[in-house]
Amino acid sequence: MDPGYELVKQHLFFRKELMERIPWLIKLRWIVVFSGFTACLIGHSFFALYILPFILILVSIFFYNLLFQVAWKRISPASDFNRFAHVQISCDLFALCLIIYFTGGIQSPFCLFAIFHVIIAGILLQPSICYFYGILILFLLGLIIFLQQWGFIHIYHFRLQSVSYGFEATDDFISYLTLSTVIFVTAFLVTNIKLGLRTKGRELLNLAKSLDESNTKLTALYEMVKQMRMCTESRTLMDSTTMWASRIMGVKACSIKLLDSQKQKLHFASTYGLSQDYIKSRKSIDLEKSHINRKIIEGHSYTIGHIEEADYFQYPEDIRKEGILSMLCLPLRVEKMVFGVFCVYSDIYYSFEDKDVQFFSLIADLAALEIEKLNTDINRTWFLQKAAHQLRSPMHAVVSMLNLIKKGYIGKINSQQEETAGRCIARLEMLDNLISDLLRLSIRRTALSVDMNPTQASAILQNVSSLFKTQAREKSVEFIIKIDEGLPAVMATEQMMDELFSNLISNAIKYTPSGGKVTASLSGEEGKIRFEVTDTGIGIPEEAFDKLFSEFFRAYNAKEFSEAGTGLGLVIVKEILDSLKGVISVRSQVGKGTTFICHLPSVK
Amino acid sequence: MGRVRDILVIDDDKDLVQSMRIILESRSYGVRVAYNGKQGYERIEEKTPDLIILDVMMATDTDGFDLAYKLKNNAGYKDIPIIMATSFTQKIMEQGPEKFQHILGEAWPVSFFIEKPVDPEGLLSIIEKILDEHNVE
Repeated sequence: MDPGYELVKQHLFFRKELMERIPWLIKLRWIVVFSGFTACLIGHSFFALYILPFILILVSIFFYNLLFQVAWKRISPASDFNRFAHVQISCDLFALCLIIYFTGGIQSPFCLFAIFHVIIAGILLQPSICYFYGILILFLLGLIIFLQQWGFIHIYHFRLQSVSYGFEATDDFISYLTLSTVIFVTAFLVTNIKLGLRTKGRELLNLAKSLDESNTKLTALYEMVKQMRMCTESRTLMDSTTMWASRIMGVKACSIKLLDSQKQKLHFASTYGLSQDYIKSRKSIDLEKSHINRKIIEGHSYTIGHIEEADYFQYPEDIRKEGILSMLCLPLRVEKMVFGVFCVYSDIYYSFEDKDVQFFSLIADLAALEIEKLNTDINRTWFLQKAAHQLRSPMHAVVSMLNLIKKGYIGKINSQQEETAGRCIARLEMLDNLISDLLRLSIRRTALSVDMNPTQASAILQNVSSLFKTQAREKSVEFIIKIDEGLPAVMATEQMMDELFSNLISNAIKYTPSGGKVTASLSGEEGKIRFEVTDTGIGIPEEAFDKLFSEFFRAYNAKEFSEAGTGLGLVIVKEILDSLKGVISVRSQVGKGTTFICHLPSVK
Repeated sequence: MGRVRDILVIDDDKDLVQSMRIILESRSYGVRVAYNGKQGYERIEEKTPDLIILDVMMATDTDGFDLAYKLKNNAGYKDIPIIMATSFTQKIMEQGPEKFQHILGEAWPVSFFIEKPVDPEGLLSIIEKILDEHNVE
């Protein structure tokens, strides 16, 4: 952080206090004027005091305060508030001296009011100024005493008649000394307390600053994790990590190096802020040759405050040329397993303090966890696809060979044999569907929302329906489709919408006997689109409702009605709706038919 | 049309190759077989076939694609029609593993796709269609 900027910020903070106090002082003065007038009135009415000089003083206070009030409203933020405070205190001081003069000089009870000025000066201005006003008031009072004692000016007594002075010089001197002590003690107390408060204020300010900093960092960290979560490829995940880490901490560059499968060499997997030349010159780092990287892989962290200081690098000139002056290297690990190195580069010597190291360690650990998690996901998906392929290959060979038998390519067969071969093929096709559904489900569970776009559901439904029209016709089921015009888009992938519609429509057709009717309709509601499929099929028994969306479940009447069916279709539907934040409801009566209703939030 | 059409079947599943051979030979096509990409290329070098039926995943996950690209980039072989047989459905390919992404981005170097398991009549009608078109050229 720029220290100059910090000072300015602090100065502004305390200046704000001064700015708030000035109108307060003006308000206070209005009270003084009001009470002064009241006191004069009472003094005049009940004690027959001569109040003309006081009235005049109060009127002048009234006017200069009015002036201050107006000036305050017009004063620009850039102007000097200190001077404004000085002017106010000086005016007050002068008015007070006049009052003191007219009420008996140093013996006047109003002398005590001088303390208020010292306190106000102490609160608003620097300690030295507070003492200055203390001395100034004592000087003015001393002057009055001097002039009175030597007869240069009149001595007014309390009743404001010019009287012969009734006090000895010693009395005045003692009073003067007492008042001086009181003023200086007050100045001392006020400035000390003020200093303490100011220190506390500064501490608070620093605390607020560091809180602010951590808050910014945490927000950025949260944002980073959020971004990381959305990545579906390790490359983009690492790129986003290095970019965010550099941005959050304001460092020059950041890199992720990963160990190869032999755990012998490190390769740059992602960099941010490093030049291509630099990356190329360090294409692969042999752990045998790089002591520091070996140590990091063993789990140590390194802070290099000055790249040329110790024998860290073989060619520090290269690193310097890149503009790197200090470095922080951390292991990327999950539990005890280190699989890479996370490096942060700075263009300032000794750039990394303990708290930075801690924070970067946190980032490195988070990144390691996300990279590992994503790799596991990718490996799992890949494994599942391979497994599915391995399962399918022999099955496809079997089906192909059964087809040869059934279609008579390898000799004539009778109708019973043909039918049996046909049944074998049908069962294997069901197995194939089951594998497809399982694969789809497993991929769906790892798929993320990043690919979603505003999608026109009506166009997709139109497409899907044309495929099912043939199927319905073959089964002699009437298939009606109604799509409202001008429907809003939904946030989804085409694939998801396609699967959602296909699964529900194919179910409806599958479980509707010949001569029945299936109606699919798409309409809009407030902020939603509504997809409804109604059939006149076999219906769903009530006791099956709870299990309808659970894996491999098929109601007894569904099994009786049709052999084919994986019991995964509605699971897929439910998963799609969950990820689209939609809801589904079912109404059904056994033997009468079923209605599925989906609501999906639409894009505004 | 007296010449016997020469079809090369490249697939690592021997049973599947055998089934295709039976189907194709029933229509009097000449059938040669290979069980991986490398072998397939050797057969092609021996004699240029009229049509190739190619499996996607053989020795490696992209063996079939690699061979198809190799042929497309070879002036002598680039016009051989290829039918690619795959047990991946189109949908799964779309959201498929990263390993396929580089292939998916480009134009596919094949004339036709058929899904496994192979339906005899379907396969024969596709072959007929492709060979007819090719003849016209």
